[in-house]
Amino acid sequence: MGKRKVGALEKVDIDLATLQYKIRRDPKSYEDNFLQQWGQYESQREVFLVSPATATHEYTKSFHDLVDLIAHVSDCYREHAQSFPDDLKAILLQHHEVLHPELREKMVGSLVLLKRKDVIDSSRLLTTLFPILVSSPSKSLRALLFQKIVGDLRNSNSKSTNHPLNRTIQTVLFNLVTGDRTSPKAIWAVKLTRELWKRQIWTDAKTVEVMKEACLSDNEKVVAGATRFFLGGDKEREELEDESSDDEAIDLQKMKHQLGINKKSKKKAHAYRKAVGKLHKQERAKSKPHPLNFSAFHLLHDPQGFAEQLFQKHLQNTSRSNRLNLENKLLVLQLVTRLVGLHKLTVVPLYSWFVKYLTPRQESVTSVLASLAQATHNLVPPDCLEPLVQKIANEFVSEAAAAEVAAAGLNAIREICARQPLAMQDTLLQDLVQYRKSKDKGVMMAAKGLLSLYREVAAEMLAKKDRGKDATMGLRSGEVKQRRFGEEEAGGIEGLELLEKWKEEQRKLKRAEKGLPEDGGEKKEEGGGEEVEDDGFNSSDWDVESVDSDDSGGWIAVSHSEDEEEEESKPAPKKRKTKGGKEDEDDSEDEDEDEEDAKLDAEIQRISKLATTTILTPADLQKLQELRMEARLSQTLGGSKNRAQRKLEEALARHAEDGLTAEQIEAPAKLRKTTKEERVAMAKENKPDRNEHKSTQAIRRSKNAAEGKSTSNKEKARQKNFLMTLNKAKQKQKRSLVQTRNVLRGHLDRAKRGGRRGNNG
Amino acid sequence: MGSSTKKKKEKAKDFQKPKFKVGKAKAKPSNFTDTSFKAKSIVMGQQNLSTEAPETSAQFRHSLSLASNSRSEKQRKEALANLTTQVASGNNPVGTATLLARLLPLISDPCGPVRTQLLKLFRQLPGDEVRNHAERCIMYVRAGMTHLSVDISNDALSALEWLLDVAEDEIVSCPGGWAKTLSSFCALMGWSVSATGGWSAAPKGGSLKTKDAQSRVRQLAILAKFLTAGLEAEAVATRNPNAHWDGMYRVPRVPQPFAYLNLFGSRRDEEAEMYIDNESRQRVFGRRFLILFSRGVEHTKKEGGAVGRSASALEQSLKDGMAGFEPSSAVDPQDLLDLW
Repeated sequence: MGKRKVGALEKVDIDLATLQYKIRRDPKSYEDNFLQQWGQYESQREVFLVSPATATHEYTKSFHDLVDLIAHVSDCYREHAQSFPDDLKAILLQHHEVLHPELREKMVGSLVLLKRKDVIDSSRLLTTLFPILVSSPSKSLRALLFQKIVGDLRNSNSKSTNHPLNRTIQTVLFNLVTGDRTSPKAIWAVKLTRELWKRQIWTDAKTVEVMKEACLSDNEKVVAGATRFFLGGDKEREELEDESSDDEAIDLQKMKHQLGINKKSKKKAHAYRKAVGKLHKQERAKSKPHPLNFSAFHLLHDPQGFAEQLFQKHLQNTSRSNRLNLENKLLVLQLVTRLVGLHKLTVVPLYSWFVKYLTPRQESVTSVLASLAQATHNLVPPDCLEPLVQKIANEFVSEAAAAEVAAAGLNAIREICARQPLAMQDTLLQDLVQYRKSKDKGVMMAAKGLLSLYREVAAEMLAKKDRGKDATMGLRSGEVKQRRFGEEEAGGIEGLELLEKWKEEQRKLKRAEKGLPEDGGEKKEEGGGEEVEDDGFNSSDWDVESVDSDDSGGWIAVSHSEDEEEEESKPAPKKRKTKGGKEDEDDSEDEDEDEEDAKLDAEIQRISKLATTTILTPADLQKLQELRMEARLSQTLGGSKNRAQRKLEEALARHAEDGLTAEQIEAPAKLRKTTKEERVAMAKENKPDRNEHKSTQAIRRSKNAAEGKSTSNKEKARQKNFLMTLNKAKQKQKRSLVQTRNVLRGHLDRAKRGGRRGNNG
Repeated sequence: MGSSTKKKKEKAKDFQKPKFKVGKAKAKPSNFTDTSFKAKSIVMGQQNLSTEAPETSAQFRHSLSLASNSRSEKQRKEALANLTTQVASGNNPVGTATLLARLLPLISDPCGPVRTQLLKLFRQLPGDEVRNHAERCIMYVRAGMTHLSVDISNDALSALEWLLDVAEDEIVSCPGGWAKTLSSFCALMGWSVSATGGWSAAPKGGSLKTKDAQSRVRQLAILAKFLTAGLEAEAVATRNPNAHWDGMYRVPRVPQPFAYLNLFGSRRDEEAEMYIDNESRQRVFGRRFLILFSRGVEHTKKEGGAVGRSASALEQSLKDGMAGFEPSSAVDPQDLLDLW
């Protein structure tokens, strides 16, 4: 029998990789082969399911390969491989604990692959993976699953937010957290939520709701994780954003330069074009408005209820079963107090709870003090706070206490009183202020801080000599008044009067251009009502850019309809009426005061008129911003009239946003930036090791010798044998003048050339 | 002076850099003996002074573990040969069940000699004991049959032949034994998909395996044997006058007498169902495989030669098997189950 000719394909003993390649190229022709492999897979699965734990290595390996093949090609034969995802799901869910690790990973990977090929949808994948993540004892599997889950959620939210999926998963997480409050499994919900929050995939209220429930869990780890999320989640998010934004700074100039020097190629030109495009994109992204991200605190529903529950469950409750350790307790305390401070909640038992922790011997007491200050706001009844302030003063601030303790106590008191000045009694205050004479710098500064605070907010509580010039004058003129409990400053738009003034000036300028008298126009306008103003408003001043160019057309100027105008003009007359009534009352008083009042009223009237009768256009707002900046600048240049007050305001604003940390309470205790050890270490740095007493020269020499370096010429000359130098020394004495001259000249020459083997011949 | 230069040299010696050579050291000759160490005595790790060989059961167990676990194919083969002689001499300390459980995965062993030796071993096993493990055996045989490698699937067919010899009835009536094996055959022969027209890169006939005539003949022959076993009418059991009373009072003598009720297993689909009598097997065959098979047989017959001859033999056995079958118009219980 002659040799049979075989086709190239028939000759090779085909393996799975080749088959996969062929199937992917031509699925229709290889359907039969696929079916054969499918049969193989089915029978192997059957064998495998008999004893998944004790399957031999070879069997596991071949099953692994088969699963891989089918996962890769199953999108070509959807009708044949219909049951494949379900099979994988069932095997994973039932046997994930006993499966061979590689096989397990392959199955998870295959499921994710099927999702990528759209054989299964995201929610099906995630509902498979998540229960395993929660229940698996294997760390590596959990890490893999976590990564895959986060990745899948990221992908499905990458183009647009996938609301149905997010809702499903959030519900799953919510149920996990609330279903069994004692189980540690909820930690996975916390981890997942935190990760997705960090990556800004989930930014809604429901996410926060999950974390809120996790905070109220019975498991300590879960509570700690969720609390940390509230305290640091937003910062984490910002950090991640910063990292991602400044990773690739393209140096376009350098690229252009290199392009001029190096060989020009299409590839390089393309790279350059791409870089330019990227830069443009970055710039566009920079000018885009910042995406509105509410912090987790602001997305909370019912912060009052949450704070109360947290406080009752983890702080007030002292039953032995679910008591947190101190570290976690402090975390929860921070959270509760942040909530109280930020939302101005009223949790009255919180303040009496603090009493037993306010001793200098309490562990991490500065953190407790910071929390107390955080929990204070202007709506806390002073009665609650007074005993606490008193206790801090008694326990911390005394001559006998250490300086750091006293400083911490004073700082804490200052922080509390900055938020609620009424918590202080004048005798105590006058006592505490005496500490500004202390010898310790920390205490002195803290006491001065307290003093300057009360000069601003309630100067009459201070002793007369302590009030200072501004406060005394203010008190006398009645300008400085102590705010009463619950009193709020009437708000307005900052810098509005500046805008008003500027508009007036502009109008005058315009009129001057037209050649009309400035004042007359004003009067006429005041008499003529609002229509003149409206005209000005309707014209080109609307858009920001249109101040420069008229037809940019970004905004459509909508003309006022009549009734709108009416509505708008209504409040103004009302106000005027009330003001008028007030004036009538004031008639009985002195005349000059009356005049002053009238002036003030007129101004108020005008301001309210601007804010209530016109709509502030974007252009106006921009101008307002500019004017505000200008005013601030001139103020700082002009003098320090209100500097302290501004500082105080700034400090308060900072606290409202960020909360208070223990470091801020301790801060002055760390006035010296370095400790003694650090300073000693710094001095020792770059100094050779001195085991025995040696000269610096000797140390240097030995170091050189150890490095295999030779000595210098000078050193050699010094060490030269005396007898060898003797002859030369004798001859030197006998040299003639000419010889000496030649020697000296030669020396100079050599010096110029750079030595005997000089570099220029 | 002399001493100072000497000292200097000595000192300098410490700072000389050793010159390293690039590349490998010269290869040592094959008879090289490392003499760089000295020892006064040599200590052996373990020493056994007994002169008796281990007893046979221990040896048997050892070779069993070698056969199933060893990485070296030669060792596996030799262990199997050892087991074969032991079993042939009637010495089987672990029992057929354990033996089968350990050795069945070797049906898809990548090494050919191991598989032939395995078949030899199987032939030595007592038939009536194998019969009780038919379900497990056929499972591994199916896995071997659909294997990518031709040799392995051929050897799996030989194993199927052996099973048909020793446990004919059990093979076709155990759960999954009939329908699943038939679909495995379909996949093996390449009959599962109706041939579609048009150009394709795949070899004609649909399979990537080399289609040498010999293995085709073999496949067809064994398929014919399997079909005969499944479709032929069973010999009518001799009437046992005590059957009624036995059923009521005597403990059944077969393992899993109520397996067909499937009280404890998972729910079975049509493929994994038990088909106990030949009528039900005929019904399933008629519904699911008859068209595929007859088309495949037609196709194969046209090839002619040895393959064609065995195809016509297969056709004959098909005809014989389905002779008494008439598709009932009554509602099939399976359809009802599917509905549910």
